[in-house]
Amino acid sequence: MNRKSVVSFTVFSALLTLILIFSLSWALYDYYRAAPQPIKASDTETAVQTRENEAMTIIALGDSLTRGTGDETGRGYVGIVSEQLKRDSDKQVIIHNIGINGQRSAQLKEQVKKQEIQRQIGMADAVLITIGGNDLFQGGQTLMNIDPKEIEKAQNIYSANIQSIFETVRSINSEAAIYLIGLYNPFIELEDSELTTRAVTEWNQRSAELSSEFPRTIFVPTFDLFQLNVNDYLFSDKFHPNRDGYKMIADRVAALLSRQEGVK
Amino acid sequence: MINLVQNEIMKLLAKKRLLVIAVIVAILVGLFTYAQMKSVETQREKLGTSDWRASLQQQIIDTQNRLGSSRLSDEWREQLQISMKQQQYYLDNNINPSEPGAPTFVRMFIENSSDLFIPLLVLVIASDMVSSEHALGSVKLLLTRPVKRGKILLSKYIALILAVSAIVAMTALISYFLSGLIFGYKGLNAPILTGFTVENGNLDTSEVRLVSQWKFLLMDLGLVWFVAMVVATLSFMVSVLVRSTAAGMGIMLAALVSGAVLANMVSSWTSAKYLFMINLKLTGYLNGIAPPIEGMTLLSSISVLLAWWAAALFVAFFAFIRKDVF
Repeated sequence: MNRKSVVSFTVFSALLTLILIFSLSWALYDYYRAAPQPIKASDTETAVQTRENEAMTIIALGDSLTRGTGDETGRGYVGIVSEQLKRDSDKQVIIHNIGINGQRSAQLKEQVKKQEIQRQIGMADAVLITIGGNDLFQGGQTLMNIDPKEIEKAQNIYSANIQSIFETVRSINSEAAIYLIGLYNPFIELEDSELTTRAVTEWNQRSAELSSEFPRTIFVPTFDLFQLNVNDYLFSDKFHPNRDGYKMIADRVAALLSRQEGVK
Repeated sequence: MINLVQNEIMKLLAKKRLLVIAVIVAILVGLFTYAQMKSVETQREKLGTSDWRASLQQQIIDTQNRLGSSRLSDEWREQLQISMKQQQYYLDNNINPSEPGAPTFVRMFIENSSDLFIPLLVLVIASDMVSSEHALGSVKLLLTRPVKRGKILLSKYIALILAVSAIVAMTALISYFLSGLIFGYKGLNAPILTGFTVENGNLDTSEVRLVSQWKFLLMDLGLVWFVAMVVATLSFMVSVLVRSTAAGMGIMLAALVSGAVLANMVSSWTSAKYLFMINLKLTGYLNGIAPPIEGMTLLSSISVLLAWWAAALFVAFFAFIRKDVF
């Protein structure tokens, strides 16, 4: 071991030690003494609002159905739709899945007001929405105690919310097609099925009417898909669709989407 | 005195331990760089876009969905909520929390290795600083010199300080240059948000400010160096007290690993915050990560560590000066 390298190591690491001690005191000073400064817009890069022409951009909003709860492969109808589109089209497909389990229309109304979500909606060619299931069924509570007045009340709130959601989406993006996926009746084979079926059909009717008031807004029914042999298409919680159930919804949505894009 | 220190440095370099450490770091950095690259790739495939805003938004949504699950412990839920709010804050202010590039990689690597990996590297050097002299029998030769024992130990300790600084700097440099091969070297001036504070499980953003990434990195390194010094001093003490290097290393390893495990489960045992191994994650304070025990602050952690440091130093010198050597 030559003396030179020993000396140079000593000097070099002594220097490093000083730098590190300085950094340490700086960290402490910065943590406790530095004044907060408001973040100026100029400090940050601005979001680009360009729509990518080569790609098809889809944003999926809503509740557990958008999330794909109940699908053992975890894809949900959004995942299956995106796979089908990717397979059938040479376009690139970009999917933003913003669904949150248990979300109700009031929460979605707030969600679409968020900056980043709005940016994504602005870039989208299509907006997929599943919402209302939690408003109507309230986690099964409605079923226990079917009270037409309560349902009526929930429906009015829902209508106002969905109106506001449509308005917000339309104000950001006037071109994208909006697909509102309707509700099915998961309780159709249980007792009181006439009551629940009536509630769901009325609910869907209201959704369809609201959709028709907005341009390029499409109500996609699913009630008929789950009318017969519902248990074959439901997950073990007897509420969410299983993989086959999602497949049926996805087929319908994908057909509409590919028509929109003129694929094939 | 300078000669004594140089003598120690010479012994240190002759053992080639620093080289071994450099190789370990290089291998690990290579592994992590590859893993990171893969995860970025899958992310891009999944989303169909490399827009960071979209992927950050996706992370927030994923967290929101996890929060909806009922099978979450309260502490974990709190942690998730805090990090989610932080991500939302980054998003709202249009700042990318992980600007791609080597500097971000180094920051992540240093922060994640501050409580276990870097202390382990330091152990490799520190744990046989004194005990190896016993093993070789050279301690008698050393002590027969007409130099006070305190001075001999001090020269060893100074050599150790220098080695710790070298290890910390080496880790940063190796990870910077290696990961830069893949991620590129840009991003030193990227803005980072700091000043988040966590109080009663809530994220306080009133003190938030922007810092350039290189400044943030330096601050991180300063804190990591401090932690490494405390661990080094403790294992230095152990190596004075315990003659066998293996036993000394075992003791320190047990302490470090227990700290990593304890940090995940002590939130209700508040007096655990006086243990040094709970306080090793200093960089978390700069990032606004909730500390393992409520009420811990940067200052309290540093004070606890300083107390352990001073005690270890005192015990080491006291024991070495009064020890019978045979």
